Amino acid sequence: MELDVSGAKVFFTIPTDIPVLGDIQISETMLVSWLVMALITGLCIWLTHDLKVEKISKRQAVAEYLVEMANKFVIGNAGEKFRKLIPFVAALFVTSVVSNLISLIGLRSPTADLSTEAAWAVVVFIMITAQKIKTGGLGGYLKGFTTPIAVMTPFNILSELATPVSMACRHFGNILSGVVINGLIYGALALASSALLGLIPGAVGDLLSQIPILDVGIPAVLSVYFDWFSGFMQAFIFCMLTVMYIANAAEE
Amino acid sequence: MNVVQDLVGIVPWTFIAQIANLFIQVYLIKRFLFKPVNKIIEERRALADAKIQDADRAKEEAEAMKAEYEQNMLEAKAKASEILQTAQKTAAVQSEEILKEAAAQAAALKSKAESDIAQEKRKAVNEIKDEIGGIAVEIAGKVIEREISEEDHAKLIDEFISNVGEAS
Repeated sequence: MELDVSGAKVFFTIPTDIPVLGDIQISETMLVSWLVMALITGLCIWLTHDLKVEKISKRQAVAEYLVEMANKFVIGNAGEKFRKLIPFVAALFVTSVVSNLISLIGLRSPTADLSTEAAWAVVVFIMITAQKIKTGGLGGYLKGFTTPIAVMTPFNILSELATPVSMACRHFGNILSGVVINGLIYGALALASSALLGLIPGAVGDLLSQIPILDVGIPAVLSVYFDWFSGFMQAFIFCMLTVMYIANAAEE
Repeated sequence: MNVVQDLVGIVPWTFIAQIANLFIQVYLIKRFLFKPVNKIIEERRALADAKIQDADRAKEEAEAMKAEYEQNMLEAKAKASEILQTAQKTAAVQSEEILKEAAAQAAALKSKAESDIAQEKRKAVNEIKDEIGGIAVEIAGKVIEREISEEDHAKLIDEFISNVGEAS
């Protein structure tokens, strides 16, 4: 039996002549991302239809709770002046969580593709940099690299660039490791059940050994950590870092 | 059909698409979750504020009414005491007048009674005088057994009466 852990499948390719970027590949990542977006948007619409001022439904209570939680998360960590950041952080968090958890229904997580996390991290990095320039001016921002002494400049630049790289790789690594380990466990359990049921003599054993009976149930226990816990944790960490970095950038 | 991308790597178009997706998602979540929910929370806050303001206004009105009521009560009390004082004064004056009148009436009655008594006394005295006169004449006639002249008669009576008057 062969176990293959590969990147996102490419469904079809739109040939372009653009250099560097190459052909447009409509991959699993992109399709599942759109599905995730559709799911989130559908959920939002469902949660917020028919809102009332008084005698609210449970659905509305959930919607209000989510909004309050997002407000508290951003304002509690960054302060009142980052109110504009709330929808961005909320979108980042919910996209990350739903992307991570969509692997539970057998689809490939968009977050198991480094392109996704790299895209998010670059957006966050640009926001951090913009905030730094806004706070200290361009001169102040550039001067910040020479602190505490000019010799430190290359290291400062390196540490600045390490921020998005580490953010992207941390998230991606956790999700990918879940994919890899889940793949290995499914494979191993299939082998184990085939070996176990192969002990039954005759045609019955041959037939039953085709069914990976041990794959039912046992991987679900592990998925509590690799999908649920890791999925929420990484989304939370990513958003927390985003908020903290931007809040730090705003400090004089 | 089995084309796969690298397990670890950045695909430019996916990268671009994900940036776009992120911003589209931000817009969608803002439009469909935050805007309606914040709007409804704002409305609720406005409603609560309006209710509190209404309550404040009602309280103010109630306090104004209470003050007015108390003012009215004070005025009423003052008026009542005034009326009471006037009544007391009038009553005192009237009672005094009544007393005076009564005293005057009593005095008048007393003087009338006194004059009546005096008159009665005189009348009684006169009657007694006449009777005693008659009796005296009779007695005298019997004693003397003689006719005395009318002049002597009268003289005797008068003498007698004056003696009697002195004795009585």
